[in-house]
Amino acid sequence: MAISVSHLVKHYRIHKKEPGFLGSVSSLLSPHYEQVSAVEDISFSIDEGELVGFIGPNGAGKTTTLKCLTGLLYPTSGSIDILGYIPYERKTPYLKSITLVMGQKNQLWWDLPAADTFLLNKEIYEIPDVQYKKTLAEYVELMEVENLINVQVRKLSLGERMKMELIAALLHKPKILFLDEPTIGLDVVMQKKIRDFIRIYNKQNRSTVLLTTHYMEDVRQLASRIIIIDHGKLLYDGKLDKLVKQYASYKILSIILGSYIHPDAFKEIGDLVDYNFPRAIVRVPRGGSNMAAAQLLQKFPVEDLNIEEPNIEDIVRDIFTKIQK
Amino acid sequence: MIYRLNFIFWRLRVVMQILVVYFLWLALFSGRNELFGYNQSQMLTYVLLTSLARSIILSTTTMEIGSIINQGNLSNYLIRPINFFRYYIARDIADKSLNVLFSIGEIALLYVLLRPDIYIQSDVTMIAYGTLAVCIGMTLYFYFSLLLGFLGFWTPDVWGPRFLSFVIMEFFAGGLFPLDILPAPLFALSKSLPFFYFIYFPIKIYLGQLPIQEIIRGIFLGSVWVGVLWCAARMVWQKGLRVYTAEGK
Repeated sequence: MAISVSHLVKHYRIHKKEPGFLGSVSSLLSPHYEQVSAVEDISFSIDEGELVGFIGPNGAGKTTTLKCLTGLLYPTSGSIDILGYIPYERKTPYLKSITLVMGQKNQLWWDLPAADTFLLNKEIYEIPDVQYKKTLAEYVELMEVENLINVQVRKLSLGERMKMELIAALLHKPKILFLDEPTIGLDVVMQKKIRDFIRIYNKQNRSTVLLTTHYMEDVRQLASRIIIIDHGKLLYDGKLDKLVKQYASYKILSIILGSYIHPDAFKEIGDLVDYNFPRAIVRVPRGGSNMAAAQLLQKFPVEDLNIEEPNIEDIVRDIFTKIQK
Repeated sequence: MIYRLNFIFWRLRVVMQILVVYFLWLALFSGRNELFGYNQSQMLTYVLLTSLARSIILSTTTMEIGSIINQGNLSNYLIRPINFFRYYIARDIADKSLNVLFSIGEIALLYVLLRPDIYIQSDVTMIAYGTLAVCIGMTLYFYFSLLLGFLGFWTPDVWGPRFLSFVIMEFFAGGLFPLDILPAPLFALSKSLPFFYFIYFPIKIYLGQLPIQEIIRGIFLGSVWVGVLWCAARMVWQKGLRVYTAEGK
């Protein structure tokens, strides 16, 4: 077991301040603190080589959990064991075997070319010369950035910077990758390149990857297993397709009509979710999807019909809104 | 280009500071041989030496620590196998070396231009003690600055306290004038503060104006201060890490 988290709890103490001038004065004289619980009793374990996606709404506690695992935050209670280390102790061998890439924060030196950051990382992680040269050449080729590594980082575009961030983060061949929204803000092509790079790295090095994201495509492409966190609690931990089957009790019939049918007519088939003639989307219970399809074809002027699994996005949205009630 | 201009103005500022205090004392000494127990040569030496002392002892790269913590950039350091303290010690050594190089150049230039009558220490033991005192001063200021930076774990306003410390230090470190010209109670107060060892103490040793018992006593007390601040810095760092939220822009 590479990663083992047991009953993790993390509370923050936040200073609350009333707006306005009087608020400032009163907060100076008698400061008011509130306790925010970011993570409430989360437990899970991940084996070596797994690629796990963390999803959840903003403020769910996924980044907090990630930060506890990387040793940045001190847990309020609970225990974390990663590769036999306690992350918070930040022992050198532990830090050498992990890496953290944050989509919203730069780790590269802004005014220098990326090549300088790479060299710095080489020294920090004590990567031997030969291995460094080989690894760097490999990554630079994979990411197609040969003529960019000597350009000041401030002059690179977001996508190019992200590529450099990844290269810098993986030079020391860490065994555990913590990725916090790595594809955020990137265009579709770049997102694919980043995902491919991560996938190739994972396969070649048998590393373990923990990824937080808002993009379902990240999850679909990379993670075989997902963990859903909301309001600091673990809602789901398991395979992606099981999630679909467990939480989506319906299927989608995607219809193209030959001639206009009144929306009410669909009531006998199922729930009309969207109707934009000639397209119609109907939800039907999972078990009855074949029957419903047959009925549809018999009674309605159907030009084209597709039976589909529900969108992961829709499922996740349903789960989130259900829990909020 | 911008960086080069920045550099020139920085050195110009340093030189201006020395000149201002230098000419002030020159003016004060006009028509006098002795002031506050110092003759002109000693006072002017003191002034020029404060500039050198500042460049060795008071130069530091640790000013940014407060904002590094507040903006969550501390995470970049925590996530890597770097010893935070050793990192800044190394950076400070580099920074001080650079500063000293320029400072020596500037003082040499000023000496050639102004031709002050300065006092050169020849006693090797005094120089040795002086060097020891400088080391104590450097270490003290390093941990002091770290502690100010660590306030960032608890408050977004780190500059307030730091600025206040600058003001207090200007007075009590002996950077503007030798501390023993102060009235006795103030001088006694200054002796009990760590700032005493930043500038005043090392320079006094160099000027050969302290009896040996004073020197030994001072070095002992200075070392005690080093121990105290070292422990405080480590403790505050550990405590700070526990409340670090890793948030920021």
